Amino acid sequence: MSKKAAPRLAVTDLQHKYGDRPVIEGLTFTLRAGQAIALVGPNGAGKTTVLKCIVGAAEPAAGKILLDGQPIDERAEAVRRDVATLLDDLDFFPDLTAAEHLDLLARAHGNSSPEDLVDTTLHDIGLLPAADQLPGSLSSGQRRRLALATALVRPRKLMVLDEPEARLDTGGVQWLSDRLVEEKKAGTAILFASHDPALVETVADSVVTLTPLP
Amino acid sequence: MSAADGPVRFDPSDFGTIPSSRALRSWMRTTRRQHADRSFWEIFEDVYLVLFTLAMVGATGGNVVRHLNSNAAGCTSSTCGQLTAWIPWIVLPLLLATTIRVLLAVGPVSASRATGFWLLATPVNRAALLRPAYRLVIASIAVIASIVGAVIWALLGAPWFDVFTAALFIGSLLVFAGLVTVWAQQTARRARWTLRVADLLLLAAVVPAVALALRPRPSPGITTANVIVSTFTGDAPRTQLGLRALSDADAVTSGQLSFLMVCAVLVAVCVVLAILVSQTLDRLGRVSVIAGGELLAGLAGAASSLDISMLGDVIASRHWRLKGRVRSRRGRGADGAAIVQREFHRILRWPRRIAVAFGLLVVPYAVHGAGFHVLVPIAAAIAGFIAVRPMLDGLRTACRSTGLVRALGWDLRELRVVMAVVPGLFTIVWAACAYPAIGSATSCFAVAAGVISGTVRQASARPPSYAGPLVTSPMGAIPPGLFSQPARGFDLLVLCLAPVLFNLNSLWVILIPTVVLMLMFAIRPKTG
Repeated sequence: MSKKAAPRLAVTDLQHKYGDRPVIEGLTFTLRAGQAIALVGPNGAGKTTVLKCIVGAAEPAAGKILLDGQPIDERAEAVRRDVATLLDDLDFFPDLTAAEHLDLLARAHGNSSPEDLVDTTLHDIGLLPAADQLPGSLSSGQRRRLALATALVRPRKLMVLDEPEARLDTGGVQWLSDRLVEEKKAGTAILFASHDPALVETVADSVVTLTPLP
Repeated sequence: MSAADGPVRFDPSDFGTIPSSRALRSWMRTTRRQHADRSFWEIFEDVYLVLFTLAMVGATGGNVVRHLNSNAAGCTSSTCGQLTAWIPWIVLPLLLATTIRVLLAVGPVSASRATGFWLLATPVNRAALLRPAYRLVIASIAVIASIVGAVIWALLGAPWFDVFTAALFIGSLLVFAGLVTVWAQQTARRARWTLRVADLLLLAAVVPAVALALRPRPSPGITTANVIVSTFTGDAPRTQLGLRALSDADAVTSGQLSFLMVCAVLVAVCVVLAILVSQTLDRLGRVSVIAGGELLAGLAGAASSLDISMLGDVIASRHWRLKGRVRSRRGRGADGAAIVQREFHRILRWPRRIAVAFGLLVVPYAVHGAGFHVLVPIAAAIAGFIAVRPMLDGLRTACRSTGLVRALGWDLRELRVVMAVVPGLFTIVWAACAYPAIGSATSCFAVAAGVISGTVRQASARPPSYAGPLVTSPMGAIPPGLFSQPARGFDLLVLCLAPVLFNLNSLWVILIPTVVLMLMFAIRPKTG
């Protein structure tokens, strides 16, 4: 990747407040294609809030967020096409199976025959035995894996992941780590918040440490 | 699905044209049909049952409204004239304000969280995805507003021609308000300003209500419906219940026809606006759409358990979630005093509720001002119930959480007494403020006792449990007591007011509410 190319994601002087209490102040960083940035910090430091601002789930008090040089707006089709997110806002259709959920997502992104992709993703993520289960019968770990799978059956230039390792077993975290490294090699930019030092160490090219504001 | 035979990697070239919303919905329908566990006839039976029930309720309700219309039209007293002259000016802004507030609370265009993630976050045309929900909202507003408008005007004794035009007028007015809220939903700033307009409309409704309350003498010669008609046609107000006279003469005046034309133009404007607004649905943010969907899902869950309190809980929990942060206050004292003090602070934390509670004092005064003296205690009691019930949210939380009660280390019966102290004091203040309208100290006591015992009973009711024995019903297996759930609390209210309503002597008016209050606080509430 040329270093002169516009960064995939540029965050400049981001600020966010809950009521009158500032949570994030003056946060600035850039993320290029094929790179990963990890947001780390204690609970309440604003990691999830930063991710929410970036994907349009929260409104920043000030600052600029650019995706490929354009202000990011989740209502824009390009943003919905290029940004894969994993936050805590995920819910499932109670009457669609795990495989059907992924099938739906792939189709909605323009893949008219996603069967093989869905099967492979389910296999990779260890959910193939649960492919025909309805969400209500999945364990919390399985639901988390299914949530992770959503980022893998669709096109993406940027992945925004909030604690992707949460509720995964040791093998799952190792798989995730390898997969994210592969994603980087494929040119995907990754921004993720994590409490897992090993995952951060393996995946992240740089680390942004957030501290709770007084 | 079967396991993949070999490794298939993600290939961007697999992703081509984004499907249409229609194609995606069709795929979902087909997929869901494969999981259907009910036959067409089973679904048809349910639909038939619903349609039959609606027809029965509609016929019965229509008949009742027709009788009330004829009774109201026959009323020639000055009180009727005064009431019908003022009510449109209270009802119209009130309906507009309520519509705007309710619609902005639920979106108005909303979608489930699942739809938000699996469909709205994809590049599929968002406007097309949201259009069915949008159409449903606008159609629902049109139907409900027209019915409400027709019923109100019919109850005021207006002739059927005017009932029809009022339905058309209110229907199109509220549809317009609905369209404004869809426009406002597109940015937080617009939504804030629209809510301010709703607050102003609420104030605009309070002004004539206060005027009615403070004006015991009727203004002769003005009627409900012709106020509206004359507003738009420029006709001078007609004589007492003049529109009924018009109807009797089977003559439709040019003024009425002009107003009908105005309504027709309004309908046409709304249709055009509805089409224009539907083109802007892609500007709706996913967060605002999902937030409304979540609220609706919560309200639907509460409604299905026939639990009125839970409806309030859903709204309250959303309020606090959106507020996010308040300044912490240190408590004072120990034991019961500490809980009372904490409850006091908790109630102060939502000042709008206190303002609304005092605003509801208009109700007994308005009823008194309209001359329906016999109805003042019951109107005051219902208004007081609505005013005080939100102040018992703390008790409700405690009664629904055995863990919390255990942590506090109190017996639930004693806790209920302590947590009712602040709402009880507020009830006394409220009832004292309503005293001039109620007019009698003993009736005032009965109202206060009914309000506090009723609200405490409702707040401390345990939720229906599906874990225990169930009874068979046309709705399926339901827990016993489910249908009595909505009446919980109101039963004690009626019991306390019974001696007032039956005009028993003062001893009974004091004695019965006192016994109810004592029993209410002596019995230990059951927990889930």
